[in-house]
Amino acid sequence: MKTVSLRLVVAALLAGIGLTALVVGSTYDLGSARRMGPGYFPVVLSAVLVLLALAEGVSAIVKRDPENPSSKVDWRPLLAILSAVAGFAITIAFFGLIPAFFVVIGLSTLSERGYGWKPAVILSIITCIGAWLLFSQLLGMALPLFRLGL
Amino acid sequence: MFENILLGFATAFTPENLAYCFLGVFLGTFIGVLPGLGSLAAISMLLPLTFYLEPTTALIMLGGIYYGGEYGGSIASILLNLPGTPSAAVTCLDGNPMAKQGRAGVALFITAIASFIGGSVGIVALMGFGPSIARLGLGFSPADYFALMLLGLVAAVTVGGGSVIKGLIMVVLGLLFGTIGTDVTTGDFRYTFDFLELRDGVSLVGMAMGLFGVSEVISSIRGSKTRTITEKVTARSMIPTRADIRKTFGPIARGSSIGGFLGALPGAGTVIAAFMAYATEVRLAKDKTRFGNGAIEGVAAPESANNAAAQTAFIPTLTIGIPGSATMSIMLGALMIHGISPGPLLISDHPTVFWGLIASFWIGNVFLLVLNIPLIGLWVRVLQFPYKYIYPVVIALICIGVFSMRTSVFDVSLVVIFGALGYLFQKTGYSPAPLILGFVLGPMLEENLRRAMLMARGDPVRMVSDPLTGSLLAISALMLVWAVLGGIRNIVAVRSKAKSVPLGEG
Repeated sequence: MKTVSLRLVVAALLAGIGLTALVVGSTYDLGSARRMGPGYFPVVLSAVLVLLALAEGVSAIVKRDPENPSSKVDWRPLLAILSAVAGFAITIAFFGLIPAFFVVIGLSTLSERGYGWKPAVILSIITCIGAWLLFSQLLGMALPLFRLGL
Repeated sequence: MFENILLGFATAFTPENLAYCFLGVFLGTFIGVLPGLGSLAAISMLLPLTFYLEPTTALIMLGGIYYGGEYGGSIASILLNLPGTPSAAVTCLDGNPMAKQGRAGVALFITAIASFIGGSVGIVALMGFGPSIARLGLGFSPADYFALMLLGLVAAVTVGGGSVIKGLIMVVLGLLFGTIGTDVTTGDFRYTFDFLELRDGVSLVGMAMGLFGVSEVISSIRGSKTRTITEKVTARSMIPTRADIRKTFGPIARGSSIGGFLGALPGAGTVIAAFMAYATEVRLAKDKTRFGNGAIEGVAAPESANNAAAQTAFIPTLTIGIPGSATMSIMLGALMIHGISPGPLLISDHPTVFWGLIASFWIGNVFLLVLNIPLIGLWVRVLQFPYKYIYPVVIALICIGVFSMRTSVFDVSLVVIFGALGYLFQKTGYSPAPLILGFVLGPMLEENLRRAMLMARGDPVRMVSDPLTGSLLAISALMLVWAVLGGIRNIVAVRSKAKSVPLGEG
């Protein structure tokens, strides 16, 4: 039952994306079949997407998949890794690259219970040194290592 | 022809290109060995590193990462029964039983040899057919291009197996994501939602890293603790017996031909090539029970096939500018980033790029032979290294890679969104590869459709009545109908089975 509901949720999500694209796209100039405007292609696509997503939603209800352990959502690593990437984005914008590496690695290690902070710190230091050597020294990229504010 | 090959080797043999070719195959193998991360993730992660290189050098390195990843994937398959790349999944079937029988060394040796021969066959096919297909491409009208791309997208959905409807959803979603940004024809902004960053479109690397890199890492964390390698791979253990060598001749020859042919077709790719080659060997074998229990043919055939396919996949990408797989669409994106417009003129306009790249493929395959036979111990050690110390660094590298493309925080947040989407898709049986293909082909598809319709004065019948366009569209339609009918038959079969088997037991 759990997998059916997740399939349905994803189908609904896709239908939602299609519907939004349809509504927004219909404000663009459609043009004609001969001289297509910027709205023509996206509107056709989003209409097709909505139809396909509806069909998939129906098939998710009608045709039940057998319960499958690999289709269960692992919340812990999912949230840890996604927040690690988001944390990197926020930290690099305000504090620079080195703090961002500590944040992304620190949050990533929350994916597993009992990882401990020591390996996380060691990994962060190694990554910082490696990235500094590769990007700043070897490739000569101007990346902000440290900064405060925007 | 001959002077072109010489030109290619002259380009590839400069110290700089040799060094980057080696770096490419080395890093490609390294990432390919890591379970879950395939050549697609490897290329997108390392794409930013090539920005500072000459276009030819950059492509040589990216190409090396790509087929290096294909080699590396099989090592994890044999030793861990866990495919390092999707195309190496078939190798698990007989490679891992061989390892359990203490013949891991032989399996790895045959893999390296089969991959090398397969790769070489693919390169020869690329040299032989590439220029003539490009000449053919010069005569294509916008309508033909539109029909060809559509065929590629339909093939990606129908040939791969799995749910047709889910594949179509992924393609359409990818096409729709492709429309985000500035409309090429009119200059209007579409779906930018007032984000300045979206005017140039969604970042391909950000999208690929979210869909493939991040979501693969998330799902490979669980279960990573239970992996152990007990086999010792020594140089002595790699020496195959005379019977082994005799048994692999046929499978390698057949695998290379099957792979070389399928790789050049749109949508088929390395995974299908490996499966087809394996199935062929099983069909031909006198004693079918040996397969799945460590038959050496079951390692040689798919490995030669997927490496041949990896090389011939460059044919449509480089000669007419239409990538056949998601990985090739990233390569195409890399070409465009380096200011080379893909299409039938590429070979004549940039002969050093085309022939230099092909020559480097062969050099790279020689490097891989060295990396995979004498240095195999290195990769075994990489596999033994605990995954818990690898994935945080992989995530960090994904972040810095995406960020450094355009020094954009926005692109990194795209990784979060596509990572979540990719994970959801994976859990519900959607394959993100057609999405990437649709995303890259989308703008080209739309532009050619608009031009074709303008030339046909808005009359679709007129566009379809061209013999080439019409037949290409007809093939796409047939493939789609055939796949949908198969899907319906499946549903009927499942329903009737569900009726006969009481719920709870199935």
